[in-house]
Amino acid sequence: MSSPLPIAAAEVGGDFFRKRDVGDLCQAPPPKVFCFDWARENIDRYGTPTVQHLEIVVISVLIGFVVAFALALLAHRTRWLQPPLLATTGVLYTIPSIAFFFLLLPLTGFGRDTAIIVLAAYTLQIIFRNTMLGLANVPAAVKDAARGMGFTSRQILWRIELPLAVPEIIAGLRVAVVSTIAIATLVVFINAGGLGTEMYGEGNLTFPTTVIISAAIVILMALAFDGLLLLGQRLTTPWRRARSA
Amino acid sequence: MPSGESDAQSQSGASSLRYEEATKRYPGSAEPAVDRLTLEVPAGEICVLVGPSGCGKTTAMRMVNRTVEISEGDVLIGERSVRDREPAQLRREIGYVIQQIGLFPHRTISENIGAVPQLLGWKKDRIEARSAELLELVGLDPELGDRYPAQLSGGQQQRVGVGRALAADPLVMLMDEPFGAIDPINRERLQNEFLRLQAEIRKTVLFVTHDIDEAIKLGDRIAVLREGGRVQQYATPAELLMAPANEFVEDFVGADRALKRLALMRVADINLWKAPLAYVGQANAEVRAKLAAPDVEVPYPLLVDSERRPLGWLSERDLAADVVPHRPDSPLGPVLELDDVMRDALADLLQHESQYAPVVDAQGEIAGILSVEIISEFLASPEAKSDEHPAVERPHE
Repeated sequence: MSSPLPIAAAEVGGDFFRKRDVGDLCQAPPPKVFCFDWARENIDRYGTPTVQHLEIVVISVLIGFVVAFALALLAHRTRWLQPPLLATTGVLYTIPSIAFFFLLLPLTGFGRDTAIIVLAAYTLQIIFRNTMLGLANVPAAVKDAARGMGFTSRQILWRIELPLAVPEIIAGLRVAVVSTIAIATLVVFINAGGLGTEMYGEGNLTFPTTVIISAAIVILMALAFDGLLLLGQRLTTPWRRARSA
Repeated sequence: MPSGESDAQSQSGASSLRYEEATKRYPGSAEPAVDRLTLEVPAGEICVLVGPSGCGKTTAMRMVNRTVEISEGDVLIGERSVRDREPAQLRREIGYVIQQIGLFPHRTISENIGAVPQLLGWKKDRIEARSAELLELVGLDPELGDRYPAQLSGGQQQRVGVGRALAADPLVMLMDEPFGAIDPINRERLQNEFLRLQAEIRKTVLFVTHDIDEAIKLGDRIAVLREGGRVQQYATPAELLMAPANEFVEDFVGADRALKRLALMRVADINLWKAPLAYVGQANAEVRAKLAAPDVEVPYPLLVDSERRPLGWLSERDLAADVVPHRPDSPLGPVLELDDVMRDALADLLQHESQYAPVVDAQGEIAGILSVEIISEFLASPEAKSDEHPAVERPHE
C-alpha cells in the first residue's frame, strides 16, 4: 500500500474527520507529546464520538452473538454443519477490515449499517467456536446421567450443557468485545463516526495529543467491558471456584 | 443411617421387572448385542447382571430405561411395557446410577439430588425437604447440601449419585458398575452401606458389574451372561457357588468358589470350639482339669473376667502357679465377633498369624473359639458344596 489511510478515505468520498482548532495552545517550541492545556479545553468534544463508538460496539456484538449462538446451537444438533460453518466464519474473519468496509459500500453505502455488519461478522468466528467448544467440553457422563434421569434433549441443552458452557462462551465474548472496540476505530473511514474521528486525521503526527486521548478512551472502554464480562462470568458460574476445602 | 417410619413410607414403591425375549440389534452387526433375553426380577430384590466385557449386560440394562431402544421383544415394569411409554417420562420413574457418577458440576449437591423431582414439577420446599432426607439416608452430612460436586470425594459423590437416583422414589433402580471407579476400601464401605440402605427401602435393583465378588456380595439373584446377553445361570449367590450350571459359569465364578462362600457366611453359622475358661484367682488345678477334657481342642486356657469377657491366654508358666494370675502371660491377639463375615474372620486370623481366636457375642461375652482348622475342615466337607448348610444370611434379609 503506497497511499496512507487518510488519502484512501479522502478518495472514497469526503472528509469524515473532525476539524481541530489547535489555536495558540502548545504552539511554542519545543513541541509537546501531550498538550494538557488543549486537553482541558477540548475534553468535551470526545463525548459524542465515545457514545457513537459504544453504540456501534454493543449493537455489533449483540447481533454477532445472536447469530453465532444460533449457528452454534444448530451445529450442535446437526453435527455435519460444524466444518462448513467454522470455515465460513473463519473466512469472514480473515478479510482485512478496511477491504471489508469497501467491499460492502456498493451494497450498503456509507454509514453505521455497513460498520455494524462488518463488526458483527468479525465476532462470529470467535463466539461460534467458543460456544461449540463449551458445549463439546461437557462431560459425556453428565449428559448420560441427565438423559437417563429423564431430561429431554431440550432440557439437557438449556439446563445442563449451556450453563456448563458459560465460561467458554464468555471467554469468546470477551475477545469479541475487545477486538470490536479496537476495530471500531476504523469505521470512521465509511463515515460511521466513533472515536476514529478523533484519531485519524491531518496533523496527528505533529499533534499526537488527540490520538493519545482517543486511544486512552478506547483502552478504558475495552478494560471496562472485559471486567464487566469477567464479573458476569464469576456471578453466573459460582461452581467454577468451588474446590475441595 | 436412620430407619424412621417416614423413610419407610416414602420409599415404598417397587415394581417387578421382566424381560420377555428382549433383543437388541445394532445396524451393521450380524449378531444381536442382546439375544432374546428373558429374565424376571421380583419386586424389592437386587438382581446382578454379571459377565465379561462385551457380554451385553450394560446394553440389557439400558433397554429398561430405553437409553438403548429395544429391537424386538419387550421389557415390563410391573405389568407395563416400557415400549408404550414416552422415554423421558419413563426415565423419571427409574433410578439411574452410573460408574462415572455424572453429577451436574454447576448444581449444588441438594440441587443434584432434587433434579428429578424438579423435572416432575414438585414444589420447591418439597424438593428441599426431600433432598435433606436423602442426604441423611445415604449417610452424608446435611451441610454438604450447599457444596458443589467438585468439593466432594469420589465416595461422597457416588453417595450423592445413589441419593439422586432415589429422589423421586423410583419403581426400579438401574446401577451400572456404580462402585467400579471407587478405591477398594471405599468401595467395600459403599457396598455395605448400599445393602443397609436396600434393607430399608427395598427397591427393585438391576445392578451391572463385571466383578463376581461384588455380584455375590450384593445380589439376591445373579444372572451370569455371556456374549449376546445369553443367560448361563440365574440363581442365588449360594446356588451359583455350589452348583455352577456349566463350565462357563464355573470359570467365571472361579476356582476359589468354596472360599467365596465364606463371604456369604458369618462366624455364628459354623460350629465353634468350646473355650476352656479360666477366671482370675481360680485354682490352676481346676483349669488344668478343664484343659484335659476330651472335647477341648485348644492347648491353652482363655482368661476371662467376671462377665466372661476375654482378657488373654494363659501360658504354661501361668499354669505352673497355684492360682490363675491377674495378668496373662500371652496377649489376647485377635478377637472375633459372631456377626463377623467368615472371610474377614479368616483374614484376621491369617494376618495375626494365629491358629485360633476367641469369638465374642454382641455383649463381648465369650461364645467359643474359631480356628483355621475349623474353617479348612468346613471347606473340605461336602457341606461346603451342598445345600445342607443354608448358612447364607443375607445382611439385607
